[in-house]
Amino acid sequence: MSDAILKVEGVIKNFGGFRAVGGPDGLTFNVPRGGFLGLIGPNGAGKSTTFNLVSGVLKPSEGRVVLEDKDLSDCKASDIAGLGLARTFQTPRAFPSLTVLENVMVGVSHTNEGPFSAMLGNWRQSDGELREKAQAALAKVGLHGHEDDEVGNLSGGELRMLEVARQLVREPKVFLLDEPTAGVDPTLQQKLASLLADLHAAGTTLIVVEHNLAFLLNLADRVVVLQNGALLAEGAPDEIRRNPDVVAAYLGADHEA
Amino acid sequence: MIQSLLLSTLMFGALFSVLSISLNLQYARGGMINFGTVAYFAAGAYAYAIFTQEPPSGLDQYAFGFDLPWWAGFLAAGVAATLFALITGWPTLRLRGEYLALTTFAFAEVLHSFLLNERRIGNGSVGLANVERPDLSFFGLDEQIGYAVAACVLMLVTAWLFNRLLASPYGRLVDATRDDETAAEAVGKDTTRTRLQVFVISAIPIGFAGALYAMITTLVSPALFTAEITFFVWIALVLGGERTILGAIIGTMALVFFQELVRMIPFESVRSAQIAASVEEVLTGVLFIIVLRWQPWEKMKRRKGA
Repeated sequence: MSDAILKVEGVIKNFGGFRAVGGPDGLTFNVPRGGFLGLIGPNGAGKSTTFNLVSGVLKPSEGRVVLEDKDLSDCKASDIAGLGLARTFQTPRAFPSLTVLENVMVGVSHTNEGPFSAMLGNWRQSDGELREKAQAALAKVGLHGHEDDEVGNLSGGELRMLEVARQLVREPKVFLLDEPTAGVDPTLQQKLASLLADLHAAGTTLIVVEHNLAFLLNLADRVVVLQNGALLAEGAPDEIRRNPDVVAAYLGADHEA
Repeated sequence: MIQSLLLSTLMFGALFSVLSISLNLQYARGGMINFGTVAYFAAGAYAYAIFTQEPPSGLDQYAFGFDLPWWAGFLAAGVAATLFALITGWPTLRLRGEYLALTTFAFAEVLHSFLLNERRIGNGSVGLANVERPDLSFFGLDEQIGYAVAACVLMLVTAWLFNRLLASPYGRLVDATRDDETAAEAVGKDTTRTRLQVFVISAIPIGFAGALYAMITTLVSPALFTAEITFFVWIALVLGGERTILGAIIGTMALVFFQELVRMIPFESVRSAQIAASVEEVLTGVLFIIVLRWQPWEKMKRRKGA
C-alpha cells in the first residue's frame, strides 16, 4: 500500500484517564488513494472519535495523522478541510439561520468571500456560478425543490443529506461520512448508495462509518473493525463477515450480512 | 423649543445609532457579546482630541498634542478603535457568551481607570477641554444643524456599508460562523479569523462616532465614557429589536428622544430636576423590562407573517 492518501499512525486519544482511541499500542491503518473504507464496530468503539481526530476537531494525544504526506498535527480543522478533506457529523450539523441553498453555498471556498469583496460588490458573478453548483448538489441528494426552505423544516434524514450536499460541492479528495443512512428512508438510501458508488468510481477516497452493514459491505472494498478504540480486524468485506472475532464482538452469531 | 428637542434627538440619536448598528453586527450577526462598547467610543474620542490639540505648554499635564487638522484626527480615531479592537479581541475571542461579555467589560474598565489616572494621555480626571472642531460656517450652516447632519451622514454610511457587508457571501460566512463553528470549520472556514474581523470591523465606526462626539461636546473626560454608554446602547438595541439595522436605529432614536424629552421639562428647583433625572432612569428600566417580557416586535412580526 505505497500510495496511501491517508495514514493513521499510532494514534491515541485519552479523555482524562479514559483511552477512547488507540488501545495499548495506538491505532494504525492506511487508506489507499481512491479506496472505499468501511469503519465499523460496536457503539463506543471510537469510530466517531477517530473521525474527529482525522478531521482535526480533536487532536491526538499521541501519534499522528498524515494526509497526502502532510502531517496534520499542527493543522486547524479548517486547514485540514482546505486540504481537500470533507466530513459529515454523526448528529447532522446545519446553519439554521441560512436557507437550504445557502447552507450548501457556504460549503465552497469563495474567492470573493472576504469583507472587502462584500464592500466592493465584486462577488456577484462567482456567486451565481456557485448557486448553480449548489443546486446540482442538492438534486444529487434528493433535496431539489427545498432550496428556499428553512433548515428547521427539514427532517432528520433530510438534514443528513443536506450535510452531504454541503461537502459534495467542495469536491473533496477524501470524504468521511458518519452514519450517513441513519434516519434516512430506503429510497434515499438507494440514492445515497449510487451517489457514493459514483464518487468512488470518480476516484474520491471514501471512509464511511455505518451500522447498516447491508448498505456498507456492498460498497466498501476494505473494512476496518474497531473495538474499545483498538483495531480488531482489517480486510475485505467477505473476510470480515467470516472473521470469528468480529462475529463475536459486533455482528452476533446469527448474522446474515 | 420643539425644534431644539428634535435637533438634539437627531444629533445624538444618529450618533448613538452608529454604536447600536455596530453592536447589531457584532452581537446579532456575529454572536459576540461585547460589554465594552464604550471603550472603542472613548478610544476614538481621545485619539481625535490628542491628534488635533496643540502640544502641551505651561501647566498642561498631557504629554501629546499633534495640532493636526480635524480630518487627520478623525482618521486617527478610526485607527485607535481598530487597534483597541485588535488588542482586546485577539486574546478574548476564543471565549464565548457571558465570558466574552465579562472580559470585554473588564477591558473597558481598564481603559477607563487608565484614562482617569494617567495624566500624560488625557489630563486624568480633568480631561481635555476645548477640543478643536471643524468650522462649519463654511457651509452656511448653524453649528448644531451641521453636527446633526454630520451624525446622520456617519450613521447612514455605516448602515449602508454594513448592509452591503451582510448581503454578500461574507454575510453568509458570518451567519454560518455564529450558527455552528464546528460545521463551518468542517467546510474550511477559519472561524477565528472571521470572528476577529467582525469584531474589528464593527469597532471602526464606533471610533469615528467617538471623534464626532468629541467635536460636539468639545470635551473628553473619563466621566463622559462610563459603562452607562455601553448599557445605553445595549438597551437601545434590545428596544429596537435585534437583527435589523433599521430596528437598531429606531430603538436608539426612541430612547434618545425619551431622554431629551425629560431633560426639556423646565424645573422650578434643583430638587425636582434631580427627581426627574431618577424617574427618567427608572422609566427606561421599566420600558426595558416591558419589551423583554412581552416582546412586542416579535408579535408584530408574527402577525405580519400570518
